Amino acid sequence: MGDLNAKADYVFKVVLIGDSAVGKSQLLARFAKNEFNVDSKATIGVEFQTKSLLIDGKMVKAQIWDTAGQERYRAVTSAYYRGAVGAMLVYDMTKRQSFDHMTRWLEELRGHADKNIVIMLIGNKCDLETLRAVPVEDAKEFAEREKLYFMETSARESTNVETAFLTALTEIYGIVSKKTLSADGDSEKSASLKGTAILVDQDANSGAKGGGCCG
Amino acid sequence: MAPIVGSGKFVMSLIINDDGKPREYNRMELADSDADSDKKVTQWKQSFHQIGLDVARTDRSLVYYENEANQAKLWDVLAIYTWVDDDIGYVQGMNDICSPMVILLEEEADAFWCFEHAIRRVRENFRSNATSMGVQSQLSILSQVMRVVDPKLHQHLEGLNGGEYFFAIRMLMVLFRREFSFVDALYLWEVMWAMEYNPNMFVHYASNGSNEVVVTTKLSKKMLQQYERKNMKNGRTYQKVFLLFSWLQVF
Repeated sequence: MGDLNAKADYVFKVVLIGDSAVGKSQLLARFAKNEFNVDSKATIGVEFQTKSLLIDGKMVKAQIWDTAGQERYRAVTSAYYRGAVGAMLVYDMTKRQSFDHMTRWLEELRGHADKNIVIMLIGNKCDLETLRAVPVEDAKEFAEREKLYFMETSARESTNVETAFLTALTEIYGIVSKKTLSADGDSEKSASLKGTAILVDQDANSGAKGGGCCG
Repeated sequence: MAPIVGSGKFVMSLIINDDGKPREYNRMELADSDADSDKKVTQWKQSFHQIGLDVARTDRSLVYYENEANQAKLWDVLAIYTWVDDDIGYVQGMNDICSPMVILLEEEADAFWCFEHAIRRVRENFRSNATSMGVQSQLSILSQVMRVVDPKLHQHLEGLNGGEYFFAIRMLMVLFRREFSFVDALYLWEVMWAMEYNPNMFVHYASNGSNEVVVTTKLSKKMLQQYERKNMKNGRTYQKVFLLFSWLQVF
């Protein structure tokens, strides 16, 4: 559970995006509180959760922004992306259209966010295998082409949820702890939020930028 | 009007593709070839999917919504509203405001008109263009108010990078329905709408200490600041809340 008082070495802002009703809020509830809420409601605007965890002996606080899926709410999204170092791009693997829309979400993400942002593609609801509408191969191919991490999850059955977030956070940690995340000197803002201890290497002539975010 | 409206059933699946073409699987037989050529009709039908997704998730812990016909009633009202308000249409959150009307008023038409009037007060929050949403102007007002009413809290929030008050989007858009229980939210709405946030009435009431309500001329920001300096020292919470409302109207 996110302890507000824990002294964090790093604060990573991560955004959850994707179509309406794909399970973004449920993924977050599962990760942050290990809950699955049977009467979950549509997210209005943006809602937040934090979770602190140890990575490589450092206290990392993930500040996760859970956004509304409806297109209308994208008007406010530039604010959501500001300072984000990670993004979870979520589709519902039983709804083809939610996967087809990933291109649009990715485009918007790349248009607004730091270019080295770590992106994880998530096919949620994998407990509903019989209703699958998106083959794993399609998603893998998309992820490889776009250089994204990819995982299928089930917030309901708690499959891969922690692994997905941990993978993304560990990758972010790797980048931020090694080098500044951003190449344009805006690194302090994008790597960590105000009011926390920041351990970003400010070496002025760091030519290489964080080892490329995706393998 | 689409045949589904008023049928006791509602659409949750996608019936119109992104390109405006009806889906092959059209269980509800919504495709009316003449009407579908009309852009407004197409856009309207595109909204059904979103409304359906949200209706299925509205107050579903309440027994009332275990009945699909009742969910359909909520869906009908929202779908008709989307048709009537083609400027803003359906936006997530309207379902939360509509739900109590549907539960409390038996007649669907009554529920619709009640909702249509209630939403007039807040519909600007739901308006969006390419770069912003109406609610953001409320957020900046809130930020200004908090700066004056509780500078320490405001400073704390800014320190946490929360000075933009995004956490309040939901509170403002669905009028605290998610923050309070169903019944408590209705009490709050009643008080809010009965008060109409009138700072003149409140300040007068507060300053002469009687139950007499006298509407004076509109107060200036300066007068409110004076009032605040004089009265906020003793820090009674309810006074702060009412003062906040007063400020909201003056700005």
